[in-house]
Amino acid sequence: MDIVINILTGALMSVINMAKIVIPVMVALELAKKFNILDKLARGLKPITNFFGMERKSGLLLMIGLIFGLAYGAGAILQYVEEGEVNKRDLVLLMAFLSLCHAVPEDTLLFVNAGGKGVVILGSRILAAALVTYIMSKKIKTEEQAAQWA
Amino acid sequence: MKLLQAVTTGLKKGSKTTLKLAKITVPIYIVVKILELTPIFPMLGRGFSPFMGLFNLPGEAALPIMLGNFINIYAGLGALSALNLTGPQITTISVILSFSHTMFVETAVIKGAKVNVFKMVMLRIVGAIVFGILVGQTIGR
Repeated sequence: MDIVINILTGALMSVINMAKIVIPVMVALELAKKFNILDKLARGLKPITNFFGMERKSGLLLMIGLIFGLAYGAGAILQYVEEGEVNKRDLVLLMAFLSLCHAVPEDTLLFVNAGGKGVVILGSRILAAALVTYIMSKKIKTEEQAAQWA
Repeated sequence: MKLLQAVTTGLKKGSKTTLKLAKITVPIYIVVKILELTPIFPMLGRGFSPFMGLFNLPGEAALPIMLGNFINIYAGLGALSALNLTGPQITTISVILSFSHTMFVETAVIKGAKVNVFKMVMLRIVGAIVFGILVGQTIGR
């Protein structure tokens, strides 16, 4: 009997731990949407988009992916792509970066909550994403070269 | 008014998402806990220990890593919290899972954006393995 109670309390605790992250993150995301904070933050990404030789407007897509992640941000990301807002080169570089590093607030907090070291987790992702995207940005110069990644 | 509206929508969406995720994590947590009581568990651990040893992790760490990749990050967390692991081990698993998780859903988004899926998946898996080894063999001790 003790074992059953133990397992059920443990399961409940894991849900509470998740709720502590997911609910505040969702509220923050709603606030960001309502007050166009994303647009403002995206402007701050200018040094990064410049560094990879991307167009400035690609910064918004990067920001959406970094904050919302690939699953929650899918709607906005695919809409951008369909409307042809980003060129092929930027898209390939963005996806490479975001594949390695996305949904930063939620993912990091969830793992920290589970007992992981945040600096190590986030540091690894940013380092890997920046390194890979930098190398690719040097290799992919034209739209034709970018098409090889499609 | 705008502020209140955003907060209530966020709370609603957050609770809904939590409920949806609970349906994944709770069964996984329970199954892993029950599995721990069976002889299958040490067998599983032994089977995976050569590979997991690369990351300085016990064999059973393969469980959250596989669930996190095949289902999603929350399934991985459900299994992670059911196991008895040390802080450094949790950090290593977190690094691996933060690179590669929720593969089917997230890969669909990459495909939708018309970028090579195979190359992006390889980036993530190689990233997970390289940083998993780096962290596991240094801080993860």
